[in-house]
Amino acid sequence: MKMIVSHPEKCVACHLCEGACSFRHENVFAPAKTRIWVTDFVEDQVYGAFTCFHCADAPCLANCPTYAIARDPQTGQVYVNDDKCIGCKMCLVACPFGVMGFHLEKHVAQNCDLCGGDPQCVKACVYGALEYAEVEALPWEERMAQLERPAVA
Amino acid sequence: MPYGWVGTVLRIDLTNGRIVREPLNMDWARQFLGGRGLGTKYLYEEIDPRCDPLGPDNKVIFATGPLTGTYAPTGGRYMVLCKSPLTDAIACSNSGGYWGPELKFAGYDMVILEGKAPKPVYIWVYNDHVEIRDASHVWGKDTAHTEDILRSETDPQARVAGIGPAGENLCRVACVINDKGRAAGRSGVGAAMGAKNVKAIVVRGTGAVPVADPVAFSRLVMESLEIINQSPVTAHALRGLGTASTVGFTNSVGILPTRNFQQGQFEQAQPISGQALAQTMLVRNKGCYSCPIGCARVTEIRGPAKWQGKGEGPEYETIFGLGSDCGVGDLAAVLYANYLCNLWAMDTISAGGTIATAMELAEKGYIPPEDLADLPFELKFGNPDAVIGCLELMAFRKGKLGNLLAEGGYRLAEYYGHPELFMGVKKQDFAAYDPRGAKGMGLGYATSNRGACHLRGYTMSVEWFAPPNQRLDPFSIEGKAQAQKTFQDKAACEDSSGICTFTTFALTPDKLCALYNAATGEDLDLEAWNLAGERIWNLERMFNIRAGLGRKDDTLPPRMLKEPLTGGAVQGQVVELEPMLEEYYRVRGWDEEGRPLPETLARLGLA
Repeated sequence: MKMIVSHPEKCVACHLCEGACSFRHENVFAPAKTRIWVTDFVEDQVYGAFTCFHCADAPCLANCPTYAIARDPQTGQVYVNDDKCIGCKMCLVACPFGVMGFHLEKHVAQNCDLCGGDPQCVKACVYGALEYAEVEALPWEERMAQLERPAVA
Repeated sequence: MPYGWVGTVLRIDLTNGRIVREPLNMDWARQFLGGRGLGTKYLYEEIDPRCDPLGPDNKVIFATGPLTGTYAPTGGRYMVLCKSPLTDAIACSNSGGYWGPELKFAGYDMVILEGKAPKPVYIWVYNDHVEIRDASHVWGKDTAHTEDILRSETDPQARVAGIGPAGENLCRVACVINDKGRAAGRSGVGAAMGAKNVKAIVVRGTGAVPVADPVAFSRLVMESLEIINQSPVTAHALRGLGTASTVGFTNSVGILPTRNFQQGQFEQAQPISGQALAQTMLVRNKGCYSCPIGCARVTEIRGPAKWQGKGEGPEYETIFGLGSDCGVGDLAAVLYANYLCNLWAMDTISAGGTIATAMELAEKGYIPPEDLADLPFELKFGNPDAVIGCLELMAFRKGKLGNLLAEGGYRLAEYYGHPELFMGVKKQDFAAYDPRGAKGMGLGYATSNRGACHLRGYTMSVEWFAPPNQRLDPFSIEGKAQAQKTFQDKAACEDSSGICTFTTFALTPDKLCALYNAATGEDLDLEAWNLAGERIWNLERMFNIRAGLGRKDDTLPPRMLKEPLTGGAVQGQVVELEPMLEEYYRVRGWDEEGRPLPETLARLGLA
């Protein structure tokens, strides 16, 4: 499936992707409402941007008590159905990557929706640290193992 | 609801602990654009320019621009304004990192610190929650420890802007450091904060910055990102090598100030150049908030060096200040000195300039031996231990020499009876372009409102960094007055809008003006935009005039006026300042004493 692929070794921790994300979804600049997150541990020389991996065995989906989280059979994308979400945050707890967001005013969970196929974060990233690419949706443990391998620059 | 702005000023009276939220003065915001201009207006209206900069009557303003916090390219800047403890003129120091946007997300465009806290405090801002907290446990600690401790007792995602030991000890070249490695560096703003007993402002915000026309704004930003990503300066030089990319060039033409501006070429420039840095000690690039350039360097000292460490930097100016200006060609030493300046929060340009002044005074025998007797290093050019040792003396005001160094280069040289050996203007040290080889910069240094500064009117862009057929002859004085005025007004707009001046190496003023309009909903044409820049410049000038500065302060050290440079393409040059200055006053619409004429003030709406 197509999803946002991160290349943290190219990231400079500028947070442009966060701005682009909240602007696309909320029409304002608000990192608290973003669906992509930049971790900036500058002192440890570690930073990168991460968003939903649409895991093959999505723990968020498996743990949702109201079946508000589902997978699109066509695109493979994991999404939150606002009408069913009761804001219990089980999915936030379940996500091993911490990339499930929460909309404070709507009181519902939110993850990367790929901007309907035109992801703004990728457009804004001039460094090529984000890519909209065709990759396999992996089980979360495999994805985690992949992330933990040192990046080859 | 205003757009681009979040509409609120946070005013903190430290003397009695009163916290007031007031609406942003939108009339002023429109007239003075934001950030630097707007902060100057508040300062101009609220303080007596003749006040003691280290006294309770001075105010310290943290100001953002309307583009701060948006995803406009480099929309992450904030400025610290006050009356400068170093220059006694207006101070406005600009910094990137993440702090400025965070302040806006917390719901404030500006923080005004007034009075003086009875004991060390820090300010904790979490959206509507604002609290003055005891800071006795972090007083004396460096900026990195302070940030870690304050984050642990507030919020792990909070952003911290504060001072180090230098600011606490009222060292006149102290700066404000945010996010551990970004500096609101110049004019001693850290000392002004220290004099108020404020260690830091810790901010966490979950709010939003709205813009007036999201569709137009988004289109403009995407276009701008494309332009910046294509530009050789922003996308290649600055991203590839950082500002340090300049070292090789300035050295080759002979304007890399060396040994307190005694030479313009440094024989050890190569080991401290941007290329050497990239090949040896650069770990990775970094960008401030919303930055598509990414010139910041995350570095680590590698190899068998006497010093070890890691952190952010160095910039070109730092390589000059702590390197060539002190005759030091050891990259590890420059990096280490840079890290110390970050930790103790000192301006690397002025700290370097002050040490270089001390070195020349010592070498010429103007410092009596008894004042140098107890030093664990020899105070002479080329000695990295002297640079690092002097930084410590300066930050902690250790001993007689430390106390003098902490007063800055001018006061140091004056004390020893040779103020002519101080290389700067209005008591603030020069930046890293020898004005004898770029005479527009000479005029710029002389007339800059915050004392010698390269960013106030960066005519280097046309004097050297333009294709040869488009250059304004760097050795001629012709047209430099007009060029300085244009660049000064342009920079005033850039700073005020909340973006980084480096963006404009790729973006033209009309693009920036369009971004400003789309964000705020204003409808400024380019003429009105430039006029706003001129208005800001003149307001700063009026502040300085009321503070007692004038034509006598718009000058350069005798070395720049009389001693020709000796090496490189710029051999034999001096700055012919007087004719440029007279023309500049005319172009500005000022009288022969450098005061804006009544008709100039009327034209700018400042009467």
